[in-house]
This record gives sequence, structure tokens and C-alpha cells, in this order.
Amino acid sequence: MKKDLLAILGIILIIAVILNGTEIQSVDEYYLTHIDDITPESKTVFITIRCDTILNNLGDLDSNLLEFVPLDGVILPKTEYVLRNGDTVFDILDRAVRYNKIQMEYQGAKQNSFGSVYIQGINFLYEFSCGPLSGWMYRVDGEFPNYGCSKYELKDGQNIEWIYTCDLGQDVGAEWMNNMGGEEK
Amino acid sequence: MKAFSDYHPLVLLVYFLSILIVAMFVNNPVIGIFALIGGILFCAMLSKRSETAGNLGFYIPLFFMVAITNPLFSHNGVTPLFFLNGNPVTAEAFAYGIAIAVTVTGVMMWCKCYSAVMTSDKFLYLFGKAIPKLSLVLSMALRFIPMFKRQMHKVSRAQKSMGLYSSKSFIDKIKSTMRVFMAMLSWSLENSIETSASMKARGYGLKGRTNFSLFRFYPRDGILLSVCAVLLGVTVAGIITGDTAFYYYPRISELTLTPFSVTVYTAFGILSFLPFMIEVKEALKWKYCISKI
Repeated sequence: MKKDLLAILGIILIIAVILNGTEIQSVDEYYLTHIDDITPESKTVFITIRCDTILNNLGDLDSNLLEFVPLDGVILPKTEYVLRNGDTVFDILDRAVRYNKIQMEYQGAKQNSFGSVYIQGINFLYEFSCGPLSGWMYRVDGEFPNYGCSKYELKDGQNIEWIYTCDLGQDVGAEWMNNMGGEEK
Repeated sequence: MKAFSDYHPLVLLVYFLSILIVAMFVNNPVIGIFALIGGILFCAMLSKRSETAGNLGFYIPLFFMVAITNPLFSHNGVTPLFFLNGNPVTAEAFAYGIAIAVTVTGVMMWCKCYSAVMTSDKFLYLFGKAIPKLSLVLSMALRFIPMFKRQMHKVSRAQKSMGLYSSKSFIDKIKSTMRVFMAMLSWSLENSIETSASMKARGYGLKGRTNFSLFRFYPRDGILLSVCAVLLGVTVAGIITGDTAFYYYPRISELTLTPFSVTVYTAFGILSFLPFMIEVKEALKWKYCISKI
């Protein structure tokens, strides 16, 4: 009886690993040492990662995370990266954090019901790390798209900002939260 | 050898509750390991030698399975070992997985001891007056699975002796299990109704009904209860002041060894080793008395 339980647990574990896929990379392979050079004819976008809202809500932050909040709230200052054809917001973020060796954890597009990648944490600052309404949001050219970051295809010269919110987007100016209930992405 | 289970049910209940709650909700490695070792030692005193191999065969694989599951799903932590599908698998997640495994196996050990020590008559003695219905339901629920297993064995043996389903084919086995299970379902429903009717016929839960029980609150129960209260008080004080606070994510925090936190760890260590020490003391006394005779 007990052995059967163990066997079932083991099988579930193996199935989970297989379903998740097993693409294993070493640390050196994961972090990029080189990123596409910007040439005069290449399309580019800008990306910023910031968490200044935490500085106003330090009381809500888990105390062991204090060392990971930059003093000015800027995790990645505005940087220009080459836009490849068909790149989404997630592709740019992924390349930027790999190049700058910033920690990032995401939930794959197949693992949630939205069919889009969900960013759980950047630089050890996770969703719910700073109060129950906190998490990462993105805006492109000052507007919050109401859908996932791996569905947003970018155009030349656009400006991405990844912003940490402590109040479901209200504190960073995401107005759409007021009239429609939505999931932050 | 069950010296510890001779104590008053109230003392036992308070003791088990305090150990279980602290072990479950505090994620400090020292406290977790003390609870696990205390549980293993006490469990070893309670169970028979022949069961040990089976228990080890269950708990050791379970421990490793729980420990390995965490890093597959949790990717927080500052020390990436390698990357799985673009998400890091970190040393911190492994450490936390091991900590969860220690907690889970420790709590399971203590629950095993609980069910061996707190028999249903003790439970009914404690709660039969105050919450008669709930305590009857609880004690019936707790003894349901062992009773179900026993009865299932009986029914399937009866079927076999009638010559049914005695072949070794797999489908036949499934058929026989299904048949026995159907019979068991109606039997268990009937049995629970019978139990409650029988309890009602005895006037269970009525005003003025008295119970006979052999439990008396001796001075040694009072001593153990107050010792438990003091040790638990020190432990809880340590938890509230944050001296035993410990984080695994994103960076494993250092164990703070202030005089107070050492006191807290010692208090919890003594608390979790108490039943083992009592059992050993009684065992020694027994041996010593025999050798004198």
C-alpha cells in the first residue's frame, strides 16, 4: 500500500519533468556574453527595468529582500537592444537579463491559461514580495497593454519599461484596472 | 514498552499538539532536525523491530522525492547550478527542498507516534463530554481505515475460500477487488449507522451519563505538563522575537547564534527528546529491577 503510493508519486514526478521538457543549460551557456551589435540599419528597441515603487512601500517588503532593491530603484537603466524579426517583449527581456546577468523567473506560455509567458520575478523580487497586490508589469511607449508579454510584437524604436507595482498597477498609472478586472502580466 | 503513553491524556494531547504545530510552521533547520530526530527515536521505541525495514523503505525514498521536487518547480535563489528550460535550478531551492523533506518526514513520524499513543479511548475521554458528536465522529473516522483494511481482508479471504477468483490472471484480480470493494462500501455505511445507533442506545452524550476511565491526574502528569509549558513558552518566545527566523530565498540566511537563540534551540531539543528520554529511563529501570531480582 505505502510502496504503491511512493510509486505513484515517482511516476507523477517523472511525467511532470517530461512534460516540462528537459532542456538543460549550464550557467555559462545561459548567460549571454555577447549581444547583437547595433549597426546603422538595424532596428532597435529600448528596455528599462525599475522597481521604485518598492522604495515607497519598504514596510511591506520581506526583510531579507532588502539587499536586492537598488537604492535608486533602477535594476536596468534604459538600454538599446537590437530588435530581431518577430521579437516580442518577452524575447527582449529574456535577452537583456541574460546579457546583464539579472535573475529572472517566468512561467511558460503553456503552463497557464492565458497562453502567454508570465514574469514571476526579476532580480529576486517576486510577485507578492511587497504586499499582496505586488508584481511585475510592463508598458510599451507609456501604455499598459492588457495582455501577456510574449504576445506583444515590437516595432522599431519602441520603448519597453518593466515596472514593479505594489498596488495592482494603480501606483504606476495603469488606469484600465479601474474599469475592468484583469490579470497583471 | 510504552512508559510515555501512561501519562494523562491531557498531557499527551498538549505535548503532541505543541510539537506538531512548532515543527509544521517554523522553517528553521535546527528546529526541523530536532523534531525529526526526536520523532524517529520515539517512533523506534514504539514500533516493533520487524517493522523497521519497511518503514525505512518508505520514508527514505519519500524524503528524497520531496527534496528533489522543490528545485524543479521553484527557481528562486542566488546560486544557479544549471538552467532547466530557461529557468534556473538553484542550490537554495535544493536546500529548501531538503528542509521541507525534514519537516514532512518529521511531522509524519510524530503523527505515527500520536496514533500509537493517543488511542481513541483517550481521545473520547478528553472530548466526549465537551463535544460528544464531533469527538465520536473523529474517533470513528480515525479508526475507519484500519478497520476497513481488516474487513476487506476478511471478505476477500471468504471469497477465495468459496473458490471465486482464485486464478492468477490480472483481470480476475481486478474483478475480485471490485466485487469486494462494492461489498465493503455497503458494509461500511451499515457499520457506521450501527455504531451510532449503539452509542445512542447507551445514552452517549446525554446529560448525567457517567463514564468509567482509568485516567487520573497524578503529580508526575502535572510535572510533565509544566515542563512542557515552560519549554514551549521559551520556543514560542524565540519565534515571536524573530531570533529563530530563517530564510532560504533568495540567499540562505546565516543561523544567528545569540545566547537567547541557543536557549530556544536547547528548549525545543529537550521538548522533542522528552518522550524518548522517558522511554529510555523506564527501560533502564526495568532492566535494573530485573537484574536485582
